[in-house]
Amino acid sequence: MHNHRKKILITGANGYIGQRLVIKMLDAGYDINVLVRDQNCFSGNSSVKAFQYDFSSLPPQDAFEGVSVLVHLAAITSSLPPESDGIELKAARQLIECAHFSGVKRILFISSQTAKMDAPTTYGRTKWEIEQEILKAKGLVARPGQVYGGKEQGLFGVLVKTVRKFPIIPRFVPAPKVQPVHVDDLAEGLLRMTEQAELSAGVYSLASRDPVDFSSFLSSISKYRVRSFRLFIPVPVFLVSLSSFLLGRYLSDKLSINRLKSLFKLEPMETGADLKRLNLILRPIHAGMHPSGDDRRRCLLMEGNALLHYILKEKPRGALLRRYVHAIEQVRDASSLGIPSIFLKLPILLALLDDRRWVCEPRGKELAWRLDAATLMAEATTAGASSFLGLGRRASLLINLSVVVRAVVSELFWRAVKIISYSLLIKIMRQHRGEK
Amino acid sequence: MIQDYDVIIIGSGPAGVSAAFPLVESGLRVLMVDGGHEQKIQPPDIDYLASRGSDIDQHKWIVGDDYYALRQSDTVSPKLRAPTLGYVFEGFSEANKVVEDGFITVGSLATGGLSNAWGCGVAKLGDDELGSFPFNALEIEPSYQTIAERIGISGGCDDDMSSYFGLDTSSQPPIQMDDLHCKMLDNYTRYREEIVKFGFQMGRSRVAVLSESYAGRKGCDVSGNCLWGCHKKALYSAYEDVQALKENNNFRLEQGFTVEGIERSEDTWRVAGTDRYSVSGFRSFSAKKVLFAAGTLATTRLVLGALKSKKSVKLLSCPTAAFMLWLPLHLGRKIVPSFGLGQLSFTMNVQRNTSVFGSTFSTAGIPVSEFVRHLPFHKRYGIDLMRGLLSSCLIGNIFLSGEFSSATARLGSNGELSITGGFDERVPSLMIDVKKLLRKTYWQMGAVLLPKSFTVGRPGGDIHYAGTVPMRSHPTVGETSSYGEVMGLDGVYVIDGACLSTLTEKSHTFTIMANADRIGRYIASKALEKKT
Repeated sequence: MHNHRKKILITGANGYIGQRLVIKMLDAGYDINVLVRDQNCFSGNSSVKAFQYDFSSLPPQDAFEGVSVLVHLAAITSSLPPESDGIELKAARQLIECAHFSGVKRILFISSQTAKMDAPTTYGRTKWEIEQEILKAKGLVARPGQVYGGKEQGLFGVLVKTVRKFPIIPRFVPAPKVQPVHVDDLAEGLLRMTEQAELSAGVYSLASRDPVDFSSFLSSISKYRVRSFRLFIPVPVFLVSLSSFLLGRYLSDKLSINRLKSLFKLEPMETGADLKRLNLILRPIHAGMHPSGDDRRRCLLMEGNALLHYILKEKPRGALLRRYVHAIEQVRDASSLGIPSIFLKLPILLALLDDRRWVCEPRGKELAWRLDAATLMAEATTAGASSFLGLGRRASLLINLSVVVRAVVSELFWRAVKIISYSLLIKIMRQHRGEK
Repeated sequence: MIQDYDVIIIGSGPAGVSAAFPLVESGLRVLMVDGGHEQKIQPPDIDYLASRGSDIDQHKWIVGDDYYALRQSDTVSPKLRAPTLGYVFEGFSEANKVVEDGFITVGSLATGGLSNAWGCGVAKLGDDELGSFPFNALEIEPSYQTIAERIGISGGCDDDMSSYFGLDTSSQPPIQMDDLHCKMLDNYTRYREEIVKFGFQMGRSRVAVLSESYAGRKGCDVSGNCLWGCHKKALYSAYEDVQALKENNNFRLEQGFTVEGIERSEDTWRVAGTDRYSVSGFRSFSAKKVLFAAGTLATTRLVLGALKSKKSVKLLSCPTAAFMLWLPLHLGRKIVPSFGLGQLSFTMNVQRNTSVFGSTFSTAGIPVSEFVRHLPFHKRYGIDLMRGLLSSCLIGNIFLSGEFSSATARLGSNGELSITGGFDERVPSLMIDVKKLLRKTYWQMGAVLLPKSFTVGRPGGDIHYAGTVPMRSHPTVGETSSYGEVMGLDGVYVIDGACLSTLTEKSHTFTIMANADRIGRYIASKALEKKT
């Protein structure tokens, strides 16, 4: 991959974003040095060299040896006493100085969407101040939007835990907007920022182009991550500000109310140009919310469930369903066909798609293949031996005659339904394709 | 020059072992090389329906842990999709550089070759059929006899197919038929006079399957696992013969050896190839004589390669069709395990004496999905239909003479053998007449030829390939002598299907074996003559 292995130094490597970034960079073939508070946290990984560091100490010089890129990710996210306000900025200056001294070619600082000269939180103001130092040093600044996905850590972790814990979730009015970005997409973006030589110093915004309501973001968490229904009740934003005022700074910080407050003041970022420059495509939120980082498997499971249910007339067993998913992963392209959800919810309707005439449709041929495959896999079970061969069922002239007649009548019925609903069916399929 | 061996036989299938026996018996040093594939997935050891009902791991041998059946979904026959038989067919076309165009190419790298998965159909060629061969019918008769005794044949009885098969002198009694076939045979006997007038004759199938234990193999217990593999070894496979040959000190088997080519220096032939088990991956052996028994396709490529011939040669292959019969009076019959290979066979004449050969089979040992996939029904209801109907259904197939093939084989400049498929222009109309006659006769016997079920197979689907380097009385280059010796390659013999002078509609394996035995005896006697 890389003839000459580049070395990258990462601060805050053990955090929510840092951990994913380290994995991404290792995969890309880099050597990694990390500056972390707990030197032992990377002891299991021989390709990562860890150095003890916190904002109160001086950066260890030997960590910079041979390093070509410094990625500064460490930040104070919890509340500290007011006297430590300048510590983060001071530490950043020291890091920049060390980097220059050791010949580091690029500095990349991970800031925040809240970074602003007059931000409501110390966090946002500090980020802005550090940004200025970085830009002065011709470094790159990344401003991630609402980071989500993967492990339940960071702000995302707080949000998931909250949604999981409470059956009722506030829906703030007026609705604050967030611009989500999956933690792995962000890590990919950061990797590209360290790699692309032609990028000029400046601020890069990494987040979804279109802002979404914060409550719809929370509802995605409940729907795709927590997987249960949550009731959203409107809460006026001024109530939050009021409670923050009443609780005082310490308690508000403790209860993350101040972070909420900064959320309300978020201004939308223009991200389109930066994403394009980095050639970064963000995954849809329903995919990213899944713990594995994408919902390919989940979609395949739903597809297998529907197909096998349609064939067996009963819910398929787990082992059979897993075999279906595994087979598509092993033998086909490993992704689901994207059958409209109405068919997934009501598998009997698959009769409308189980037709050689669809073979000319873009994915019709593949659907026919998968139905054949599901048929054989469904048969190769003891339940299948009963429904296919009639093993363990009674047989007689009358019984078999009624089985045959019923099969023929059902066949004719669905053919008739198909003719009647043909235009509707075409519409559903077209609409579905349009959505995709 | 000192050779490693007297004879090298390339291939361990029915032809190879049949020639090996007389050669080994005469004391010659014989080397046999083959692809060396052996069975990996065990077929069920209890009856098919019992294992379907109780085996929670049945997907392992029906679908395969690596989804073999799904990977093979485009293939022409359920046999080519059975995971337990995967080892028989796997890797053949790649290893032997066979490319197809409108033709189905199947071959084997397994020890025992395609006989590990064959339909066990056996038949002797009649005197008139042997008329196309450059030797007297009497000359092959003792070989027919030897093979019949060695492999074990059942089905012999006095019926309308006795003279067609010509095998009853050394045959075990027939294997138990299922109810449907019994009923059909009853009806045939009852309406025989009328049916025979249509040009249709029917009787028990003669098969290389034991009905009684013989030579260490057990008799058929009708467990219905024929498609998957017989744990009683009732079905003949050359694999067993290879084991018997290995008992001899002057016989050696090299498995995992794929021949790349042969080369002559003085009176010695050097056989070079890739060896799966050697460190360098390459190896060669030398002998005075080389016998090609690699299967028609592989043999054709190697012979054309040795001759450096880029000429296109005719490849015989039988046009086939399959059909399904329904016996309405048996609707509701309980499904029971049945013998899975041919139970009744028939011969019929269409259009000015064109012979057609066919057999009918039970449906009980085949996955129902194999039928559902061809039904013009929704899957969900196709399954129901089959559950109700299948126990009163039979399937059948028919073969036409290989002379109706228009397939050709040609060696490309890259050393690949490319096969172009096709049928004679008479085939479509013949098939229509076959269908009509089948419908009429089976109707007489109380069976309905299910509409749309009569399906003509794709060229090559019969897997009866033959006649690319045919034996002739006056062979020219690219042909072989009456003992299969290739013109222009002294000491090189073709002993498999490739040397057949003609390919009739009858099952040809038995004739290939007898002919290989005949050639083996000839070579052995020549060698003895030289010594004395």
